[in-house]
Amino acid sequence: MTSDHLRYELASATLDNGLSVVVSPDSGAPGVAVNLWVEVGSADEVAGRTGFAHLFEHLMFQGSSRVASGEHMATIEAVGGTVNATTSSDRTNYFETVPRGALDLALWLEADRFASLAITPENFEAQRQVVKEEKRQRYDNQPYGDLLQLLTAQHFAPEHPYGHLTIGSMADLDEASLGDVAGFFDAWYRAGNVRLVLCGPVTPDEGLALAERHFGALPRREKPSRAAMPAGGLLAPRSTVVRRYVPHSRAYLSWVLPPAAHPDHPALSLALSVLADGGSSRLHRALVRRGDLAHEVHGAALTNRSSSSVATILGRPAETAGTDQLAAAILAELDDFVAGGPTDEELSRAAAQYERDWLWELATVGGRADAINESWLLFGAPDRVNTHLAEVLAVTADDVRAAAARWLAPDSAHQLHYLAEDAR
Amino acid sequence: MTRPTVTAASPWAFPVPEIRALANGATAWLFRLPGQHIATFEVLLPTPLAAEPKALEGVATVALHAVDEGTHTHPDGAIGELLEAQGATLHGSARFPYTTFGGQAPVGRLRRALPLFIEALSEPAYAERDVAHHVEAQLAGHASRLASPGAANKLAFRQALYGAAHREGRAGAGTPGTLNAISPDDVRAWHASTWRPGGATLVLAGDLPADLDLDPLLAWAGGPRDAASIELPTTQRPRVVVVDHPAAVQATVTLGTRTPGRRDPDWPALRVAGHAVAGAFASRLNLELRERLGYTYGIGGGFAPGVEEGLFSVSGSVRTEVAGDAVARLLDGLSLPAAFTEEEADDARRYLVSVAPLANETSADIVGQATALAASGLDSSYLARHFAQFAEIAPKDATGAFRRHVSPDSLTIAVTGRADDLLPALTGIGLSPEVVDPGE
Repeated sequence: MTSDHLRYELASATLDNGLSVVVSPDSGAPGVAVNLWVEVGSADEVAGRTGFAHLFEHLMFQGSSRVASGEHMATIEAVGGTVNATTSSDRTNYFETVPRGALDLALWLEADRFASLAITPENFEAQRQVVKEEKRQRYDNQPYGDLLQLLTAQHFAPEHPYGHLTIGSMADLDEASLGDVAGFFDAWYRAGNVRLVLCGPVTPDEGLALAERHFGALPRREKPSRAAMPAGGLLAPRSTVVRRYVPHSRAYLSWVLPPAAHPDHPALSLALSVLADGGSSRLHRALVRRGDLAHEVHGAALTNRSSSSVATILGRPAETAGTDQLAAAILAELDDFVAGGPTDEELSRAAAQYERDWLWELATVGGRADAINESWLLFGAPDRVNTHLAEVLAVTADDVRAAAARWLAPDSAHQLHYLAEDAR
Repeated sequence: MTRPTVTAASPWAFPVPEIRALANGATAWLFRLPGQHIATFEVLLPTPLAAEPKALEGVATVALHAVDEGTHTHPDGAIGELLEAQGATLHGSARFPYTTFGGQAPVGRLRRALPLFIEALSEPAYAERDVAHHVEAQLAGHASRLASPGAANKLAFRQALYGAAHREGRAGAGTPGTLNAISPDDVRAWHASTWRPGGATLVLAGDLPADLDLDPLLAWAGGPRDAASIELPTTQRPRVVVVDHPAAVQATVTLGTRTPGRRDPDWPALRVAGHAVAGAFASRLNLELRERLGYTYGIGGGFAPGVEEGLFSVSGSVRTEVAGDAVARLLDGLSLPAAFTEEEADDARRYLVSVAPLANETSADIVGQATALAASGLDSSYLARHFAQFAEIAPKDATGAFRRHVSPDSLTIAVTGRADDLLPALTGIGLSPEVVDPGE
């Protein structure tokens, strides 16, 4: 079997209440992944309540009619499982991987909170504080901790749905109240807005029957839909300079990419890989290995479902260069790239690297369940998990060149010069 | 619907490797894992950082990270391009007790990736420009660690715990003074004396081809390594150290102490105790400081096995205003005012045993575990014995072992944050904090 023909069996069903289920059996796996995606994220938050989708995710662990506060996590751990949740702009993800003998219990725990979340004022207040500490630990107390905020603010107006971070602002977290909880749950945590993926040693019949048994009693309600994206709110390219007490100056170039499901994304992934992924990448060779302009160059893409995504290339200049000089050199390389595209060797290296990354993502039942849910939300097709790699491997050098020319043109680059004050 | 019961898991055992002694003096451990399409490979080089020349500390780290920049056969980046074309990625870590160098590749490309990997590890060119690049990268890494509260605190904690006179108390990747002294010849000399097949273990895991040919590994030639005899650090007086980050908005806290390791009869009981006190989400300390008080995003910790000895530590970040109270509560919790209950011990035992299949799902999990065992002179049968021992641990065993090896007044404490606030807060709870600079 060549790995571009990997096939995972998927069985899907929709319960009468609208909750949809995919079971992907894997009899040899060491446990079953339970992966729920609720179609709500920080891009659905209303003004003055940034951070609420994520705060709400914390509250989902604070108890329901038959489960005490904290008991969900404690119970899963005590059966030898792993459990957590994450929130992004586009979805809220609840997941655990458990031994097969605890699958029934895991689904019972999940279903109980989706049916009967019960939050006390004390629990609410403690989790508000926990989330504020999470914000401090991950952002406010880290070098370059405001980077994501600065990049976001370069691309989106503050009132745009993607114009704020998932973690929210301290002021909005302070303003959130217990009264907001019921309204948010009622609006978004409806059965029809939830996708459940089970992946592991469970047959499709068993998995679908378990889903029906535990989630079938949730009421059928109309599926909420995300508000239409505003016509404006996407900002034109500009250059921003900030000075902070950080160890090194860095240049961040960024570009508007299309929404995550756009067909140009496979070619754009390969373009970014050819340009800036690893020691053989074009920018590393030109600016670090052969030039004296940079000590490091990296690329990344932040994908959004309903609006523009963002590609970034970060460069840390050598002592003899400034961020201006480095940014100009990166753009000159980009100029060549959008004109000529990748060489065959560059493309084949990028494809081989993509293949490994993708297979690695699928190497655990938890990772596979998550990839299935992502395919499902973005493309409406969970089985794209089986065709995605072949699609990427079919991308040609000219596809990469054309996608880069369309989206990564030097004159559409946003620039953020993140400069080090002398810190110590 | 009533709460479902949990049905017993089928017995699980860590996979048994096929072990081959190679003619070059290395040992290969092969794990065949059906369905794992990504293979992981790793060489364990058992030389500790303590063998580095003191004036050149960081040379092991530079030798590791520069090793795949170019070989004599494929110089100037060419080896990296060939490896990437096979979908391979390389990784490595120069730890205090040993160094690992390895990577991953799709199993279907392993036949072509492995000889390239062996070429990279056995004949690096260490060109002047590449060494200079990696010295700079480590200098930058050093500055980044000092600026990052978690990393700066860890440096200060280790310095206080092991003492700056011992290698384990100093920065693993060196400091500007030692890094700037490293020349390509120093790096080549370190590689020549320590990257030898004699005594090395190569661990390979994944859905391996049935007829995988290990002959390419024999291209790695060289004699046995010099046996390094390393003295353990001397015991330091417990200290409370503060790293001043004047702009910090949190206090980053670590408390810990040196403990026995895997070979001590108390080890299984310590693992159970560590999970109950700080390892689990529902651990005593996390429930108190996060879930009840909202002081922190999380408190975590437990007992980690080293090669010669273990380490107990507990860490977390709390808002500055409550730092004193948080440290006082951590110390109180670690004094174990109440013995572990039957339920706590039960939950911890069940977690530690039942999570093992999930924690060993991928080729990288297996290789990581196998490498740690090999470094400690153990084989894969150790885990079965270890798990069997958990079943014997009663709550009183966990309580007794914890109290024997961890007491509040034996703990080293490191806190990074605003010293102006932290010094009075820590003094106020009866501690004697001193400001240190982990960059010195």
